Amino acid sequence: MPTPYLALALAGPHLLELTGDPALLARWDDLPVAFTVLGIDRIDASSPAATTLDASSVGAALAGRTARGRFLVAASPQRDHPYNLARRVASLGHLSGGRSGVLLGTADAYAPPGPEGAEAWGGAGLGVGAPLTEATAHDAGRAVRKLEQTWPYDAIVGDRAAKILVQSGRIVHADHEGAYSIAGPLNAPEPATGASVVGWLASASTVGPAAAPDPVFDLVLGPDGPVAVVPLGDELPDGVDGIVLRPSADQSVAELLDTATRLLADGLRPVEPGGPLRAALGLAAAAPLPSTSRAAFPVPQPQQSL
Amino acid sequence: MTDRRPGHVLLGINVLVLGYLPAAWQSPLLKKDSFVDPGYWAEIGRTAERGTLDAIFLADGPLLTDPAYDANPVRLEPTVNWGQVAAVTEHVGLVATASTTFNDPFELAERLLSWDNLTGGRAAWNLVTTRGAAAARNFGLPDVPLREDRYERASEFVDVVRALWASAATGDEVRHHGEFFDVEGRLRVPPSRQGHPVLFQAGGSPKGRALAGRVAEGVFAAELTKDQAIEHYRLVKRLARDNGRSPDEVKILPGLLLSLGSTEDEARRRSDELHDAGPASYSLQWLSQAIGYDASKLELDEPFPEDVLAAPSDPQTFQGSLGFRESIVAQIRRTKPTVREYLKQTRYTGSGHAGFVGTPEQLADHIEDWFHSGAIDGFNLQPDVLVDGLPVIADELVPILRKRGLYRHEYETDTLRGHLLAGSPTPSPETL
Ligand SMILES: Cc1cc2nc3c(=O)[nH]c(=O)nc-3n(C[C@H](O)[C@H](O)[C@H](O)COP(=O)(O)O)c2cc1C
Repeated sequence: MPTPYLALALAGPHLLELTGDPALLARWDDLPVAFTVLGIDRIDASSPAATTLDASSVGAALAGRTARGRFLVAASPQRDHPYNLARRVASLGHLSGGRSGVLLGTADAYAPPGPEGAEAWGGAGLGVGAPLTEATAHDAGRAVRKLEQTWPYDAIVGDRAAKILVQSGRIVHADHEGAYSIAGPLNAPEPATGASVVGWLASASTVGPAAAPDPVFDLVLGPDGPVAVVPLGDELPDGVDGIVLRPSADQSVAELLDTATRLLADGLRPVEPGGPLRAALGLAAAAPLPSTSRAAFPVPQPQQSL
Repeated sequence: MTDRRPGHVLLGINVLVLGYLPAAWQSPLLKKDSFVDPGYWAEIGRTAERGTLDAIFLADGPLLTDPAYDANPVRLEPTVNWGQVAAVTEHVGLVATASTTFNDPFELAERLLSWDNLTGGRAAWNLVTTRGAAAARNFGLPDVPLREDRYERASEFVDVVRALWASAATGDEVRHHGEFFDVEGRLRVPPSRQGHPVLFQAGGSPKGRALAGRVAEGVFAAELTKDQAIEHYRLVKRLARDNGRSPDEVKILPGLLLSLGSTEDEARRRSDELHDAGPASYSLQWLSQAIGYDASKLELDEPFPEDVLAAPSDPQTFQGSLGFRESIVAQIRRTKPTVREYLKQTRYTGSGHAGFVGTPEQLADHIEDWFHSGAIDGFNLQPDVLVDGLPVIADELVPILRKRGLYRHEYETDTLRGHLLAGSPTPSPETL
C-alpha cells in the first residue's frame, strides 16, 4: 500500500476564518495537500455551526485569490437543483483552472427541510421534487456530470474565416431522466481540463445499508472508504489511499494547517499544489456521453456578410 | 427641467460576455475561449475599477441558445463569475442576475449573502422571472411556458429572501408559510459590510415596475427616447414613494448600446465593420420574425415583393407585433430599398435598447442631457466589444464627465449600496 495522501476538510466557521485572513490563505495555497473540502459539515450529518458560507461562493473567492490550492465544494440536493449546481461547478472549473470539483452528500444541515416526500428541491415550490435519499443525491451527481459534458470544450473553434465561434452541432441535450428530468444542454462549455471531479461523501449515520456509490463518482470519502475522513487529533488509520483531516468547529484553521504541515513532514505523501484536481488525484478522464446523444443545435454554416 | 442637477451620474457596464455585437469574439485581442478565461474576466473588473465605475452587471438565464456565431448565449454562473472578479478588485459593485422562477429562495438567499459577504459588501441581485419553455425543460417542467403568475411568485420569493437576510443579522427564525413557499429557518451567514445585497430589477412591464417600486434599489430599463425615459423614470420613482420609500432609494439606469471612436467617422466605421463581420443569418432571422415571412427566401438585391409586404403569410401563426410590422412595411414602401439595403439600415434595431455611435465627448453630452432632463440616474453602458470598448469608457469618457463635474474622481464610498446612494437625488421630487 503506497503512503496515503493528505487532504483537508473545513466546516462553516473555518470558511470565514480562511477567507478572512490573507496570511492564512497564502499558507493554505502553498500546502502540498491533495484538496480541501469546503463546508463538509453541511453534508456530514453534523449539527449546523454558528456561522457558515455557501461553498461555491467560497470556491469563487479562492479561484480569484489563490493560484494553486485545490478544492471540492460541498453540495446537497436538498435545496439545490442539478442544473443550477452544474453551472456553478463548471464555472468554478473554468475560473480556477480545473482546481475545483464538487462533493455531494444527501442532506444539507444548514437548510430547512422541504415538503414531505419531495424534500429534495420540493422547497422551490415548482410542483416537482424527489425524496431526500442517497439515491436522489447519486442521481444529482450523474446529472451534474452529464450536463458538464453536453458542450465539449473543443467545440469552441473561433473560426474567423467561416465566422463560426462554436461548432454547436456538437452540443447535445443531456436528456437526463431519473430523480430529475433535465433536458440540457448546460449554458457553459466543459472546462478545458475536462469534466470536474464529482465526489461522494458516504455518511456514517446512514440508517440501513448504504447505496453502493454510483460509478459516476470519481472519489468516495467516508468513514470506511478508501479516502478516510479523520477528526483532527485522532489516530490516523492504516491501509487507506488518502486521509482527510477534519477539524471540529472549535478547532482553528491555523491548528489544522500546523498539523497538516507536521504530518507531511512525518511522511504522509505530499501532492504538489497547482494544476487540475483530476490530474493531482491521478484520475482518468470521465467517460464521454454516448455518441447517440440528441444534438441540441443544427450544424453551423459558414456566414457571409450582408 | 433643464436646471443643472446637483450630484453625479451613476455608471454601470452591462457585460454582455464579450460585447453586445455578435462579432465581438472576432476581435484580434481575444482568444477563442476568452469568455471562460479567468484572465479576461479579471481584466474587465480591473478596467471598470480604473474608471471608478459604480457597477458591472451580468445578465442570466438557466438555458443555452445556439452559440454558433456569438458568445452572448454563454453564461458562466453570475455569483461564481463575479465572485472571482470580486477577488481581484476592491471597489466596483457587482450585479448578478438570478431567476425567481428556477431557484429555491433559501439556497439563493444563502448564496447571495455569502457572495456579498466575500465581496466586502459590493454585491447586488438583479431579480428576473425568466420566461420560456427551454429553461423550464431544464427543471423537469413541461414543454409549455409557466403559468403567468411569475410575478406573484417573484414577489413572495423576494419577501422570503429579505426575511432570511434579516435573520442573518437578528438570529431570529423566519416562519414563512405562503402560496409558493414554506420556510422555517434562518441563515447562519454573517451579514456583509452593506448588511445584505442590493436589489435590482430589470425590465419595464407593469408587473415588473410594481415590484421594482416596492423592493428594488436599482432598475435596469430599456428606453428608446428621452421623453419616454422621463415618463418611466417618474413612474418608478412615484411607485417607490407610494410604497412609503424615498424616490432616491431606487436608481434608474437604462441600457445604452455603444460604439465609440475618436471621431464620429471612426465610430461609424467601427460600428459598420462590426456589423458587417456579424452573421447575416441574424438580420434575416430578425426580419423574418418581424414580417412573418422567411426572409432567407428573398433575393437580397431586389426590392421587397408586394405580396410579402401585403400581409403576414400566415396571420394565424404570426408571432410578432402587428403594429410593428405595419410601421416596417410603411417604411419599406416609402423608401423602396432592396432587401440588402434594408437589412443594413436596420440591423439589430430589434433589441429595444437605445444605441449611440460617436465620440466620448458626444457621449458625455448625451449623458449630461438625459441626466439634467431627469430621464436617468445613470446609464448601464453596453459596449459593442468590451476588450477595447471598456478602456475607452474608463480612460476617456470618465475623465470628460469628471471635468464637467458629472462624475467623482475617486471612490468615495466602500459598498455598492453606498455607491448608489451617493448618486444624484431625484430632481423635483415634489412634482412626481
Ligand atoms: C435591461 C434589461 C435587462 C434584462 N436582463 C434580463 C436577464 O438577465 N435575464 C432575464 O431572464 N430577463 C432579463 N430581462 C427581462 C425582464 O426581466 C423581463 O422579463 C422583460 O422585460 C419582459 O417583461 P415581463 O417578463 O416583466 O413581462 C431584462 C430586461 C431589461 C430591460
